Amino acid sequence: MGQPLLSVRDLQVRFPTTRGLVQAVNGVDFDIERGAMLGVVGESGCGKSVTAKTLMNLLPRTAEVSGEITFDGEDVRAIARSRRKHFWGVKMTMVFQDPMTSLNPVKRCGEQIAETLRYHLNMGHDEAMARAVDLLEQVGIPEPARRVRQFPHELSGGLRQRVVIAMALACEPELLIADEPTTAVDVTVQKRLLDLLDELRRDRGMSMILITHDLGVARGRCDEVAVMYAGRLVERAATEVLFSDARHPYTSALLRTIPRIDQPSHTRLEPIEGRPPELIRPADQCAFAPRCRHAQADCLDGIPAVVDNADGRIFACRYPANTEDGRRSYLANEAAGRTVTGLEIAQPKETN
Amino acid sequence: MAGSGHAALRSGDRTLLSVRDLVVEFPISRRERVHAVSGVSFDVAEGETLGIVGESGCGKSTVARAIVQLNKITSGVVEYSGTDLAQLDGEALRKVRPELQMIFQDPISSLNPRRRIRDVITEGLSIWNEGSGSWTQERIDELMNAVGIDPKFGDRRPHQFSGGQCQRIGIARALALDPKVLICDEPVSALDVSVQAQVLNIIEDMKARYGLTILFISHDLSVVKNVSDRIIVMYLGKVCEIGSAEEIYARPRHPYTRALLASIPEPAETVDPSEGNIIGELPSPMNPPTGCRFNTRCPHATDICFTEEPLVAAVDGSDHFVACHHPVEIAVSVGA
Repeated sequence: MGQPLLSVRDLQVRFPTTRGLVQAVNGVDFDIERGAMLGVVGESGCGKSVTAKTLMNLLPRTAEVSGEITFDGEDVRAIARSRRKHFWGVKMTMVFQDPMTSLNPVKRCGEQIAETLRYHLNMGHDEAMARAVDLLEQVGIPEPARRVRQFPHELSGGLRQRVVIAMALACEPELLIADEPTTAVDVTVQKRLLDLLDELRRDRGMSMILITHDLGVARGRCDEVAVMYAGRLVERAATEVLFSDARHPYTSALLRTIPRIDQPSHTRLEPIEGRPPELIRPADQCAFAPRCRHAQADCLDGIPAVVDNADGRIFACRYPANTEDGRRSYLANEAAGRTVTGLEIAQPKETN
Repeated sequence: MAGSGHAALRSGDRTLLSVRDLVVEFPISRRERVHAVSGVSFDVAEGETLGIVGESGCGKSTVARAIVQLNKITSGVVEYSGTDLAQLDGEALRKVRPELQMIFQDPISSLNPRRRIRDVITEGLSIWNEGSGSWTQERIDELMNAVGIDPKFGDRRPHQFSGGQCQRIGIARALALDPKVLICDEPVSALDVSVQAQVLNIIEDMKARYGLTILFISHDLSVVKNVSDRIIVMYLGKVCEIGSAEEIYARPRHPYTRALLASIPEPAETVDPSEGNIIGELPSPMNPPTGCRFNTRCPHATDICFTEEPLVAAVDGSDHFVACHHPVEIAVSVGA
């Protein structure tokens, strides 16, 4: 494949607050090939949106960023000031969760799309408006010529999100970052939006990062999925591998916590006990250890190293799920009735 | 789609709550009205969990609020243990209210941020003059333990708890008055998946422990399947399909139910993924289509669907009901 389109190495993001430094992102690495779709999943506060905003250079000035972000061979954090304004929004664009707040309520939809074209590509007014109609048609909005003259409040949530997608595509980006693009819409609309993004990505050979808390969405749409927890990337693998044979206990716990439509009603769910750790002065231990059924004494001694067996997946765990070590550690905890961190293990469960 | 009719109502002593021909309309100007709920009938047996699913604007929350009389009912009957709640007012209604309690979607905004959570949970009892006394405090402790909140944190305020904990406090508050019916309006949609599982398990535990009858509203089909005994699928103020949870998922008959099941990220195996490609947008509830309300988007619609409203009817005499002129025959469908 040659060199990846985007490559992120040891990304760290810290926010100074009155209570101390918040380690929002703590050493994240990933690559995206051209035309690929990477899913980033995790719960609220795991750092997935902060990662996206860092890539888009949208963080507040107080944020302290370190690490390498290379886009198409170029160091993104060192782009010359003069070229910056036509980098973000042209080569790399983003779609946000709530379409109503990403559109200007007092401007017609067409003008908002045309504005992007005029600013970045120096198009004239008429040309830009004609292109806006084209774009609305490409994102599957019926009667685009009428819609360009409408205001955002006149459109349904699904159509608004399509307008936002049209804006993001206006300058033919090479990478589109979609941060929870379908969280605010209904399932039938969600399916149509995801189908649309898939189709656009294939037609244009565009790369995509899809950030979502919905594991089902990631499973159905992404080539590769990265799981984040407490600011770290705990596991990354090809989608099918991740969902069928997860290594990190957090990934496997997440998969078991969601109700599935193919299970009978009243199936007991397995929640993940406890809460994610504080990101201020994190302890020098595996962040998931207090909630992990596999945890052993050495899990509390330093952050686990990232295991890369060059089999296309990485994970950061000493007692990975679905392996002999993991099973042994779990059985030992089960026999003791609790883990070293005091997490009680109530009923016996089969392997995990 | 679009069903009125009483076919799905069961007779018998076990029926605790029965809703018949419920219509809720909201005037928005002198001429126009939003037809939020238009002729919905169903019943809930004692100890049953009834799930209501549907997309935004289908009227599921309005139904819930209408049952506890938070919305004014335009017409229809909400019969609870033999009394029509819609006919009650003032003191009579107030007397019934402890028996029907509700929990809401946003756990944080449904708790008063300035009050200690012990007071929040006790308030219902205080209103009924049972707020003091050691017996009450013991009961509050028991409730807090039951939902997994340590009673020693009773003096804390809502902002000191996470979203999942606030939702559990909301559940404890709803249970303080020992209700018969618990109405849950999207109780887990604002929560992360790991916390969602905790709250769903607690709702199941509370149902077993306090013998609750539950009305569970959600847009998430897998969540509804997990907690419900019976499910109603709604679209634009009407009932599409009613049946047992297993039946609705194993043998969906209504084209809209099938579209929903095919649209979720990991589609049900009983439908073809292409059935999720329904066309167009939700029609305006101010001016809903005549005939079947799903006719503008239904792949099977014929002339009769535009002129005549389908009634809720039993499928082959079973307790699976569908309101459709052309219900999908399961024999020819995929994977069934």
